[in-house]
Amino acid sequence: MEQVSMEATNPNPSSMSGVAAASAAELLCCANARALLDSVDAFLFDCDGVIWKGDKLIDGVPQTLDMLRSKGKKLVFVTNNSTKSRIQYANKFQSLGLSVNQDEIFSSSFAAAMYLKVNQFPPHKKVYVIGGEGIVQELQLAGFTALGGPEDAEKRAQWKSNCLFEHDKYVGAVVVGLDPDINYYKLQYATLCIRENPGCLFIATNRDSVGHMTDLQEWPGAGCMVAAVCGSTEQEPIVVGKPSTFMMDFLLQKFNVSTSRMCMVGDRLDTDILFGQNAGCKTLLVLSGVTTQSTLDDPSNSIKPDYYTNKVSDILSLLGE
Amino acid sequence: MATKAAVSVSVAASITAASSSSSKFVINTPHRFLCLKRLSSFSSFSASALAIKCTSISNCSPNKSARSMEGFTTRTRASAQPLENASELIASVETFIFDCDGVIWKGDKLIDGVPETLDMLRSKGKRLVFVTNNSTKSRKQYGKKFETLGLNVNEEEIFASSFAAAAYLKSINFPKDKKVYVIGEDGILKELELAGFQYLGGPEDGGKKIELKPGFLMEHDKDVGAVVVGFDRYFNYYKVQYGTLCIRENPGCLFIATNRDAVTHLTDAQEWAGGGSMVGAICGSTQREPLVVGKPSTFMMDYLANKFGILKSQICMVGDRLDTDILFGQNGGCKTLLVLSGVTSLSMLQSPSNSIQPDFYTNKISDFLSIKAATL
Repeated sequence: MEQVSMEATNPNPSSMSGVAAASAAELLCCANARALLDSVDAFLFDCDGVIWKGDKLIDGVPQTLDMLRSKGKKLVFVTNNSTKSRIQYANKFQSLGLSVNQDEIFSSSFAAAMYLKVNQFPPHKKVYVIGGEGIVQELQLAGFTALGGPEDAEKRAQWKSNCLFEHDKYVGAVVVGLDPDINYYKLQYATLCIRENPGCLFIATNRDSVGHMTDLQEWPGAGCMVAAVCGSTEQEPIVVGKPSTFMMDFLLQKFNVSTSRMCMVGDRLDTDILFGQNAGCKTLLVLSGVTTQSTLDDPSNSIKPDYYTNKVSDILSLLGE
Repeated sequence: MATKAAVSVSVAASITAASSSSSKFVINTPHRFLCLKRLSSFSSFSASALAIKCTSISNCSPNKSARSMEGFTTRTRASAQPLENASELIASVETFIFDCDGVIWKGDKLIDGVPETLDMLRSKGKRLVFVTNNSTKSRKQYGKKFETLGLNVNEEEIFASSFAAAAYLKSINFPKDKKVYVIGEDGILKELELAGFQYLGGPEDGGKKIELKPGFLMEHDKDVGAVVVGFDRYFNYYKVQYGTLCIRENPGCLFIATNRDAVTHLTDAQEWAGGGSMVGAICGSTQREPLVVGKPSTFMMDYLANKFGILKSQICMVGDRLDTDILFGQNGGCKTLLVLSGVTSLSMLQSPSNSIQPDFYTNKISDFLSIKAATL
């Protein structure tokens, strides 16, 4: 499989000067919603802030997804949230009353495992994880040995003169994702692996600064943990999640659809919309998540989606279905 | 409250980020320097006006020899010279600024010959100052460490980055009715307390847990006007979220970093993830860059130069780290001496990828005693 280049993501939308000056985003309305539907065969949905907020489904989502499926549209869910594996996400969808297959889900946890697979990561090497169960599970499913993860949540370092902080010399990659159990032990372990194990890879599932981990407020995202490791290693990671288009290769394998007939629907400009644009898809920003109208309209923002609307279910209501 | 608009801070462009090679030692690090341009309408910390000029910041990209930064030109520096005439160096300066870790001690072990060297310099009438980026202790606590190691050093001669954070807030007249949230250790708390500021956070928040479940809302104090981030062994998600909420939601909230060292020698046996890690985390969640008060920012240099009434050209900075100590000295216009008793080896200094050249280098500070015994 062709190795897709990983651009280190820049979380600041205003400095993405590589994006051609785009015309202003169009507010979704009856006319252009119909046109969008007709021109697209597959919808790619982000999850946090689009489908759900924390563990609460956003209004009108199930009906909208049903309508799209009934019109023969393929649905795919591409999420940067690495805390769950694809199987765990399928379970979450199910518990919220949505019928979504594991094969339709592309989480950044899956992306990390796939990156190692396509780059022939040696089976005798190990992977140290700063992140949740999702990453550990996907690595194990792909046949790799994972260290760290939730297991290291309660570990503490020792500071005595004669105590050496040990780390496994066989760790050949460190994968960093969202980790609400982040602690000094994990940072130190990852730092030693990256700085001292020759050729050790530093992989980030994603670099989102914040996200809606609960319905009521935003919380620091993987961008926080990744930047912590950048700070101690003075190295930039390989980013496998949005806006890197690494996952697109897997999507294209699954569907016989050209990216120009796909629409990426997301709530973040610098990950979702940029991902869509980088891959040549149409893009629809929803304001039900981290981005507000004023952020979109701010002069410092240079990422303009093709369309924007309040929430996913607007697609349904605008079509008068 | 003194907002960022009131104190115009110009932050120099960062040094280019490190390459992704797996080499252990990488010189070029992303740094944001605190470069203060005080408005004359602000009253100063001490009785005399604290005139902190906008200093030139040398940008150490390996590909550029001379760069022009904000009207200043940094000259191409000649390669560092081995220290051969200690007496000449000693005679040419009035003050020696010493870094601590890797220069005076390593972990809790004194480096050979240090006490005699310091005594000799004092006997020659030299002023001695100790500037450390380590924010875990207050000046008072450092004073005790010096004492325990048998060194005669006064608390007033010590400038830790914990002190620098408090001194910075004082210098901008941070209002006493505002609070400071601390992601860091005891040293910072003690210095804030001494300076009369209210603080929240610190080590005790290290035990606080989060449960990310529906309906859970983390509250934060709206009166927090500054978040100070430094080395923190009790780092956790609670603190990251608290600091992030303050910075993102409290209008005008300052984001101050004690330092951005990538690694630190907490024990003499190995490197440990440093303050740069915690600061990086907050940059990642807030997408903001901090005001850095520790080396290589010249805040502490300006502070002590003003306090002691010394000319920077009369100072020699002695340290073991190129990207903090030596850069600090160069940014301040001082002479610089690198010692190889800490994190930097001769091969690192002489590596083609290194562009930070101190004036001199030597093995350790006690070389002052053995290299052409000084006679004035």
